[in-house]
Amino acid sequence: MTNRSRISIPRPDQSFASFAGLPAVYVHGATKSFGDRQVLRGIDLIINKGEVVSIIGPSGAGKSTLLRCLTLLDRFDGGTLAYGDVVVAKPASDGSGIEYDRESIPQARMRFGIVFQDYNLFPHRTVLQNVTDAPIIVQHRDRAKTEVEGRELLGRLGLAEHADKVPCQLSGGQQQRVAIARALAMHPKVIYFDEATSALDPRLTAQMHDLVRELARGGMAVGIVTHEMGFARDVSDRVAFLFDGEIAEEGTPEEVLGNPSDPRTRAFLARAED
Amino acid sequence: MLGMLMRGYGVSLQIFFVTLLGALPLGVILALGRLSRFKPLSGLVALYISVMRGTPLMLQMFAVFFAPFYIFGIRTGSGYMYTAVMISFVLNYAAYFAEIYRSGIQSMPRGQYEAAEVLGYSAPQTFFHVILPQVVKRILPAMGNEVVTLVKDTSLAFSIGLAEMFTQSRALVASQRSMVPFALAALIYWVTCLVIEFLLRRAERRLSYYHD
Repeated sequence: MTNRSRISIPRPDQSFASFAGLPAVYVHGATKSFGDRQVLRGIDLIINKGEVVSIIGPSGAGKSTLLRCLTLLDRFDGGTLAYGDVVVAKPASDGSGIEYDRESIPQARMRFGIVFQDYNLFPHRTVLQNVTDAPIIVQHRDRAKTEVEGRELLGRLGLAEHADKVPCQLSGGQQQRVAIARALAMHPKVIYFDEATSALDPRLTAQMHDLVRELARGGMAVGIVTHEMGFARDVSDRVAFLFDGEIAEEGTPEEVLGNPSDPRTRAFLARAED
Repeated sequence: MLGMLMRGYGVSLQIFFVTLLGALPLGVILALGRLSRFKPLSGLVALYISVMRGTPLMLQMFAVFFAPFYIFGIRTGSGYMYTAVMISFVLNYAAYFAEIYRSGIQSMPRGQYEAAEVLGYSAPQTFFHVILPQVVKRILPAMGNEVVTLVKDTSLAFSIGLAEMFTQSRALVASQRSMVPFALAALIYWVTCLVIEFLLRRAERRLSYYHD
């Protein structure tokens, strides 16, 4: 808890005249245990609109758990989680643990998307259907309009001619872009990447870099969980170094990766360079 | 002779189709019950499946046939014979189908559920849009085996006295002192199975547009 760089965190539970100033992702004091083992020990993290934040750290540091809790696939057992003005979870009123708000959860789900490490595309649906199914089924959007928008989205990602294929006919990099299109079709405010570049060659990694920057320019908040320092350094506005369930250090890529102040970061980076 | 056999075949086909119509959806319900996190329910369904698969269909058929009278004292008409066969076949086959569905559902990777969950799918939406269509492809070969077995199992209704094709062929063999009715019945069963296998192969081909 001692080495964390402090940032001023607006509290979403206070009243704001406008929500424009609220961070897209707000996490405060988040904890998570599995049995006796505390995996997250009080995480503070914010991702603002138009900002790319990478969460890096050694395996076992809690990156996956953090991402699973952020995407509501798992639950924190303490702290606060909010997406903009949607407060999903806050400390329980009786002071014990955390309280998830049932009604906020579906709202929050519409605010973020995630590109899974192995994409988890729907293999039985075409590329276009992968992109348009959820808007049609979940958001009840107009089918025809959604399909037009879906094709346009696929075109922007260079997948226009693959729209009517099924995922297994595409390369890994193409499948990843389908997963991105699927997430973007829901009009999220936040997009998470789980190991964005682990399966990509240098050329595709460069493309991914440009895509992420473009998303951020368009106002998207981007959260990337990765152990690839190079990509994190190049693409991020801020980097949070997660070590043993704590954010040991946080700042610009130059600060954290170029001139780390925390000995654990230094040790990890020294090893990563070997 | 052929007329009698074909009348019997009609009854066999009725048993066949009614069983499929009843057992295919009932199997889904049983499979979901079996996979329920509510322990008493999943335990009860597991027991049901175990009993249905662990006792002879013929015995189940007789049990259903005699139960109204011996347990409830109700006199059933002769039409009940037919109903009893249908009920026991549906109950029995639903148990087998449920196990196939269950194994198919459990073979689905976690990631499919998680992708659907993050996209906001409700549990029923996830099941009907994501899981079930993929499970169908995975279980088609196993279902094919069961369906072919069902064609031949319809002959079990002979033991209760229902005039399906095997019953008819046996009567013909006795009255005409000839094996020909058996040969013809065998041929008809076999051709029926060939047709089913053909249809299943076509279904498999139609679902081969993707692999996972």
